[in-house]
Amino acid sequence: MSQPSVIVVGGGLGGLWATVRIADAGFTVTLLSLFEVKRSHSVCAQGGVNAVLDTKGQHDSVRQHIIDTIKGGEYLANQPPVKSMCEDAPGLIRTFERMGVTFSRTPEGLLDQRLFGGVKNKRTCFAGASTGQQLLYGVDQQVRRLESEGRVIKHEWWEFLSLLRDEAGVCRGIVAMDLRSLEVRAFMADAVVMATGGMGQLYAPKTTTSTNSTGAAASRCYQQGAWLANAEFFQFHPTAMIGHDKTRLMSEAARGEGGRIWVPRTPGDRRPPRTIPEVERFYFLEEFFPTYGNTVARDEAARAIWTVTQEMGLGLGGGDRVYLDLTHLDQAFISTRLGAILEIYRKFAGVDPVTEPMEIFPAAHYGMGGLWVDFERAADGGIANGSVRNHATNIPGLYACGECDYAYHGANRLGANSLLSASYSGRVAGESVVSYLKGFAGTRPGVREDLIADEVARQQGLNRAIQEGQGSECPYRIHQDLGALMTAKVGVVRANPQLESALSELRQLAERLDRVDFGAANPWAHQGLVFARQLRDMITLAKVVAQGALARDECRGAHYKPAFALPIPAGTFPGDPAFEAYRARWQENNHQWLKTTIAEHHDDGPRIHYQEVDLSLFPPTDPRDYR
Amino acid sequence: MSTSIDNPHFLLRRVHSLLGLIPVGAFLIFHLWENSQSRLGAEHYNEQVVAALKGMNYLPLLEIFVIALPLLFHAGYGLVISAQMRSELLRYRYPRNHLYWMQRISGIGILFFLLLHVGMTRIQGFWDPAVAEDLYTHMQALLSQPWLLGVYVVGLLLSVFHFANGLSSMAIAWGVTTSVRAQRLFGGFCVLFGLLLAALGLHGLMGFLR
Amino acid sequence: MTEQSIHLRVRRQDRPDSPSYWQEFKLPGHPDHNVVSLLMALREHPVTTTGERVDPVVWDHNCMEEVCGSCAMLINGVPRPSCSALVASLTQPIRLEPLPKFPVVRDLLVDRTRIDEGLKQVKAWVRIDGLWDIHEGAPRIGPNEWAANYLYSRCMSCGCCMAACPQFGPHSDFLGPAPLAQVRLMNAHPTGRYDARERLHAIMGDGGLSDCGQAQNCVRVCPKEIPLTTAIGELGRQTTVQMFKDLFGPS
Repeated sequence: MSQPSVIVVGGGLGGLWATVRIADAGFTVTLLSLFEVKRSHSVCAQGGVNAVLDTKGQHDSVRQHIIDTIKGGEYLANQPPVKSMCEDAPGLIRTFERMGVTFSRTPEGLLDQRLFGGVKNKRTCFAGASTGQQLLYGVDQQVRRLESEGRVIKHEWWEFLSLLRDEAGVCRGIVAMDLRSLEVRAFMADAVVMATGGMGQLYAPKTTTSTNSTGAAASRCYQQGAWLANAEFFQFHPTAMIGHDKTRLMSEAARGEGGRIWVPRTPGDRRPPRTIPEVERFYFLEEFFPTYGNTVARDEAARAIWTVTQEMGLGLGGGDRVYLDLTHLDQAFISTRLGAILEIYRKFAGVDPVTEPMEIFPAAHYGMGGLWVDFERAADGGIANGSVRNHATNIPGLYACGECDYAYHGANRLGANSLLSASYSGRVAGESVVSYLKGFAGTRPGVREDLIADEVARQQGLNRAIQEGQGSECPYRIHQDLGALMTAKVGVVRANPQLESALSELRQLAERLDRVDFGAANPWAHQGLVFARQLRDMITLAKVVAQGALARDECRGAHYKPAFALPIPAGTFPGDPAFEAYRARWQENNHQWLKTTIAEHHDDGPRIHYQEVDLSLFPPTDPRDYR
Repeated sequence: MSTSIDNPHFLLRRVHSLLGLIPVGAFLIFHLWENSQSRLGAEHYNEQVVAALKGMNYLPLLEIFVIALPLLFHAGYGLVISAQMRSELLRYRYPRNHLYWMQRISGIGILFFLLLHVGMTRIQGFWDPAVAEDLYTHMQALLSQPWLLGVYVVGLLLSVFHFANGLSSMAIAWGVTTSVRAQRLFGGFCVLFGLLLAALGLHGLMGFLR
Repeated sequence: MTEQSIHLRVRRQDRPDSPSYWQEFKLPGHPDHNVVSLLMALREHPVTTTGERVDPVVWDHNCMEEVCGSCAMLINGVPRPSCSALVASLTQPIRLEPLPKFPVVRDLLVDRTRIDEGLKQVKAWVRIDGLWDIHEGAPRIGPNEWAANYLYSRCMSCGCCMAACPQFGPHSDFLGPAPLAQVRLMNAHPTGRYDARERLHAIMGDGGLSDCGQAQNCVRVCPKEIPLTTAIGELGRQTTVQMFKDLFGPS
């Protein structure tokens, strides 16, 4: 038997870590990516990456990082993987440092750490304002080294289309398409790692994600039997700059430094903002949250903006936007404190936020859910090193890592944990695959040639169907409708009637997609065809998100259904009978809903079941209380 | 692994660069300095300048090895380098881009000028003893023709530009000036140096026309 | 904030080996359009000014935050990322052309493999034993040195510097500024400098550092304002020293 080989799909942080780990163990890796790997969405992460180094005199501890991650995710994450991730974080940072990542430094030349949202300690390593870019480039350089040694084979400009499974159901390769020639061919391997990123484009253009973060690849695996978990949990960032093409992140620091969020009190008031007198401005965060005001937590801010624009109809010009105003602050002060992020606004909005209020709206930022992956608990409560089960999907031979898996963030992700989970999960997935390959005894029969040929032919047929399609639909307009639908009905605030109507509208969108017509288009580098294919899989994925949201009748983390909210009774504290009654209700709710949502594909739509969460380390005893 | 010795590419470029300064550039300074003495008259020029030079020992060897061969290498390899240029002057209207272009164009211009200049003086002197004996008068006759004076002025200015600008790029290439500030400062110095050299050269040309 | 019509001229090319041609489009504008969002609007209704329905323009884009480097193209004759090219700041008609010097795949989509090849050629990586924890980080780096290095680590391989370089192109094997700047970066890392000699030798060969003609267009067009010419000067110094070491030893 020849040397086993592996396919990694996706060249972001997770995919590249897996690639290097597998190649380092001596196995050949074929790396497929939609584009040059260094253009992956990982580059967009600005803020930093969490790791407890305890170099800031705050007695920070790994235990606290674990607790913050678990509580941030409202206990929905399995705890052993979270524990191991937080424990390994400092080692990952040291490895990145050795790769040459330009982490920001203290005056002593050590790694600097900053404070990030949702935690009390300085725990976030950063590289200027482009941490994700720097981390990705660090691993990209290592992959390039391995590539020059012939241990990694890169196929850039190839799109994953489907899994190839043998008669026993084991994943043995993939079918992929050259994005230039549209050639469809099979790539055989002994294991496949999906590292295909998030699915923020379901909410386009109200998303901070890159245009290639469609989730199509995860959806394709799902349609072939892989489970999707917790898909209904989607983090929305409250302050994103509005754009036709996308919404770009505006750092929370803008609020932290004194920025105020407001809308005119008169609906549809079209006066220039600076001519609107103070009394006619509605500083709604300050009115809704007298204690925190504008610095209220991300999810609360997002919901308040939602309420004001969608329910009260006070959005600017009647639309989906509110002001984030810095113009009352001292110009020199904000230029010093916020220079870099204000520059981003100037660059992309063409307006100077020092003199004009910024226009912002919540945007889909990060999907906590994704492909379901397994783990093996070790005696110490973490995951067992090198277990073949870690990051294995329910399809044998198929692994997943990075944002496309669901593993670490539960119901909501802590700031600066995404770069950590992407790197860590990539590394773990790589190590699991190595164990998996080493576990092969003797030879396995090859995949039957006719199965491969059939699948290639099926995919070619899908291409042909799109090329020959007739009608009047344009996939890009359907995508806009999808984004608008998801934003309106499966977004920041959810309600069952809307979710039900969203599901039926999604079915209509899928039908419209049957009527896409490109005419006699040039097939060479046919981006429209590629996108139409992705869009179909995005709609399938959107159904899972909506179905999961519909099924989950509670509020947890990023999933907010006001009809099922369990607020702490005002003015009560532990010990009070009213609080204890609330605690009992909270525990009852956990008993019913503190479970992983698992969606399985069926032709008539997703079927949902639930799985117990591993709470072996820190069982939930107290409700979240930010008072 | 290719070291800089195994692969001559780098050394050739550096030799080309170095020869532009020493001896070619140095000779240019010397040459313009000597000829600036034309204003002191035919007698002084022919005896103190030309004859003194001719009296040097091993003059032909010096002329061949210190002037002609380095110049030929610098010119020849310079043509090879220039062939790589794909300049877009209108698209990128930055001063340094124009200087980059001018450096190569001036090099080619200088080559034509030198053919003419050396041909009309040193080479012609081989068979026309009058040229060798009274170079001053010969030059005076040449430069009295307005078109030829024009050619000489242009040739001179091209040479001075090529030298001064070459000096500033040489400083970057060899890593003497790295920061933007250092490159700008030294660039300014090269401008002054070039102006001075041009003045010296023009002064010499005018000296023949008294 | 009135909506004005935007006039667009796009240089199109159906295949890598076919001739290019121009097409003109007019579409309704919004004051906050950038070139990417404009092309996104255009692909929904790709009809030329002569009323002909054509294939949507093919181009490359991903992050739209000027950090992935995908969307660089020639906009009104200047190479730059299209996501940060605000339409309001451009003179019309807006001329879009593929990034020059790189082979065209289709329309505005080009193949920038050469940047990657260059990075391989100069060994733009820090050689580490493996991606596992060795319970030790890299040696310390002072904040000033960090600040200088960080400038270069922001290079996103967009290719603008290469497109503007009069020495780089299909006619020459010059590496171009972007890979050279990475040599500067890697040679500054406290363990990366162990391989400095190899990297310097790589850029002392054909197509290396000395093919730079000091036109310095690169630093003018770099969207990230990376001091490419400073890197080239510093590499000039490093190679000078290396040359003397090679010639006179010890190497």
